[in-house]
Amino acid sequence: MTIRTAAPWRVLIAGTAAAAVWGASPAFANTPQAVPAGALVSTEWLAANLQRPDVRVIEVSVNPGLYERAHIPGAANFSWHNDLNDKVRRDIVSKEAFEQLLSKGGVSDNTTVVLYGDTNNWFAAWGAWVFDVYGVKNVKLLDGGRKKWEAENRALNNRAPDYAATTYRVGQVNTDLRARLGDALAAVEGKGATQLVDIRSADEYQGKVFAPAGVPELSIRAGHIPGAVNVPWGKAVNEDGTFKSRADLQKLYADAGIDGSKPIITYCRIGERSSHTWFALSKILGYQVKNYDGSWTEYGNSVGVPINNPAGTIWAAK
Amino acid sequence: MTDSSVGLGGAGSAAGQRAAGAISAYWQPVAAAVLLLALWPLQQALLQRDGGRTLVFALAIGLALGVVLQRSRFCFYCHARDWLQRDDPRGILAIILALAVGLVGMTVVQSSWVPNPQAGQLPPDMHIGPVSWVLVLAGLAFGAGMLVSGSCISAHWYRLAEGSAASPFALLGTALGFALGFQTWNPLYSLAVADAPVVWLPQHLGYGGALLLQLGVLAAWAAWVWQRHVQQRRRSLPLPTAPIDPARAAPRSLHVLWRSLWQGRWNYALGGLLVGLIATAAIVRMRPLGVTALIGSQVRGALQGQGWVPERLNGLDGFAGCATLPAATWATPNALVLLGLLAGAFIAAFASRQFRPRMPTGRDAGRGLLGGVLLGWGAMTGIGCTVGTLLSGGMAGALSGWVFGAAMLLVLWLGFRWQTWWASRA
Repeated sequence: MTIRTAAPWRVLIAGTAAAAVWGASPAFANTPQAVPAGALVSTEWLAANLQRPDVRVIEVSVNPGLYERAHIPGAANFSWHNDLNDKVRRDIVSKEAFEQLLSKGGVSDNTTVVLYGDTNNWFAAWGAWVFDVYGVKNVKLLDGGRKKWEAENRALNNRAPDYAATTYRVGQVNTDLRARLGDALAAVEGKGATQLVDIRSADEYQGKVFAPAGVPELSIRAGHIPGAVNVPWGKAVNEDGTFKSRADLQKLYADAGIDGSKPIITYCRIGERSSHTWFALSKILGYQVKNYDGSWTEYGNSVGVPINNPAGTIWAAK
Repeated sequence: MTDSSVGLGGAGSAAGQRAAGAISAYWQPVAAAVLLLALWPLQQALLQRDGGRTLVFALAIGLALGVVLQRSRFCFYCHARDWLQRDDPRGILAIILALAVGLVGMTVVQSSWVPNPQAGQLPPDMHIGPVSWVLVLAGLAFGAGMLVSGSCISAHWYRLAEGSAASPFALLGTALGFALGFQTWNPLYSLAVADAPVVWLPQHLGYGGALLLQLGVLAAWAAWVWQRHVQQRRRSLPLPTAPIDPARAAPRSLHVLWRSLWQGRWNYALGGLLVGLIATAAIVRMRPLGVTALIGSQVRGALQGQGWVPERLNGLDGFAGCATLPAATWATPNALVLLGLLAGAFIAAFASRQFRPRMPTGRDAGRGLLGGVLLGWGAMTGIGCTVGTLLSGGMAGALSGWVFGAAMLLVLWLGFRWQTWWASRA
């Protein structure tokens, strides 16, 4: 009888309210868990710890408008184009601009920074590398990135957070995380003292194509740096975009002769996909790795440097 | 009571004497709703794709826009003509209302995206374009295209769904105009566009200042439109002194109200309000509304393959607006907005018994093609049309939107003056 008299809209509202409380409860019910020790955090951990004031989530995506339309609640936006690159030189953001950026984002020395982004976390990993160059402690990557968060139907919103600014100061700049053209050449001439890992697709490595489909061909020559081994970045991830297990990663790179016994340089086309592999090798496996952000668009355009081009293309011709 | 018996009569009672027209007038909207359900498998298929939810959203936005444009006959050309030539200000006021509603809505959204507009960053992918004499030229050409072909591109889309005879030719002409535009783009870019300022009003005036200025201009324009209308009316006939008291009019039954949705046209202001709301809703989930990107990217893709369009269109893809970069897949949000618009307009036209195809005449073809070429060249060079540049741009606070709109209106005014003069001579 009570059911008969209850107007449908009342049932609907009651149901919605119950669902809302139920759905929201994990965030409130779960006591904040300790920050995981490794370089990665899971989507599950992040969802339960979004409210923590000492956790700052930062999106680093390459597609404009993505963050603005929907992001992980409370996440700040560091634009790869405008914030993490120097606006004039081809260079990473300057130390001063980086300090301003982190201050504005309310990051202090006690903050745990969780980075995530689109396109398989490539640019977020690039961000993690820049954060590491500037010595920021407690930087994690959200395992699986934006894609996994969305696939799991987790909450997003479009509100711009407003954090109380801090005064962030960079201490030591770790320039040894960054390879320059000279380092790449030294690796070529050093005959194996430093190992080069080309993480591009096999076709790019072989010189069959100059760039992946849909990406501008910015190199005059195709091929790879002599002596580099080819381990495409995608081999380091599972179907859902999360990194493979430590043991699997160890085996993957060991099979290509990369076991961490020698210093490593990773490179790709512009240094963003290689940051992903830099992250796996350096942050998950603990190897000594430099990322070469000049990558093939610098090396493949340089005059007088040796290249290896199995496909035999000369300029764009055969 | 009599009203409902008409409706039930349609269900097979003895009231078959009543005109079959009454039956179909009642059932045609229902049939249209069934048509709408036919889109269900499409949205299921879209959900399987990458970014599927946005694609479904785009389809829904397009459907809503199609229904609103068709039902309120929201057409820049007709509204301008009614105002400038026939002294009926309702349409132009609806456009002003749409701009005002969208302006407020987009300011709310953008102020969350770019908290400090004066810091130098533009809101991502909003249609804020370069302002130069090239944009003025684009607006002039577009206005001329409207005069010749009888509507702008968005109205040609919904008229296509009504069975218009000229619209297919106008859209074909638009494609040709785009091809022409791609040919002239590189020299124009070097001459003026490359150095042209990209002006986003909130960047210079703050959100509040920009909103005040733009709403102020719109309000002044609306007041002037109304005042001019009152003065012209006064000359011809006295104004009614006592307004009709709505409380004294008999209330209409729900049934009559429902049928009125599918007769004649909706209130102008309702059309303006809904267009403003739809444009705002769009940017929350996808790129701003635009109805030329699909034509542009298809023409560019096809012609670049043939070598008929320069392989490199300088700077074009760096500007925000109706993007013409050939896409890897047909299923882009922009394409689905257009598909939804066509479907929505067709369903609305069908429900209202306004789907009236007729055989085109040579004059339809000629006017459509010539006008279309002007529309296409203007939309390509102006990086958008009345929807992409004027509505989506102006609402976002882009100076480019207002400049394009002003140039377009200037040509329309001149054109109507010329038409009147020509008619008086004959």
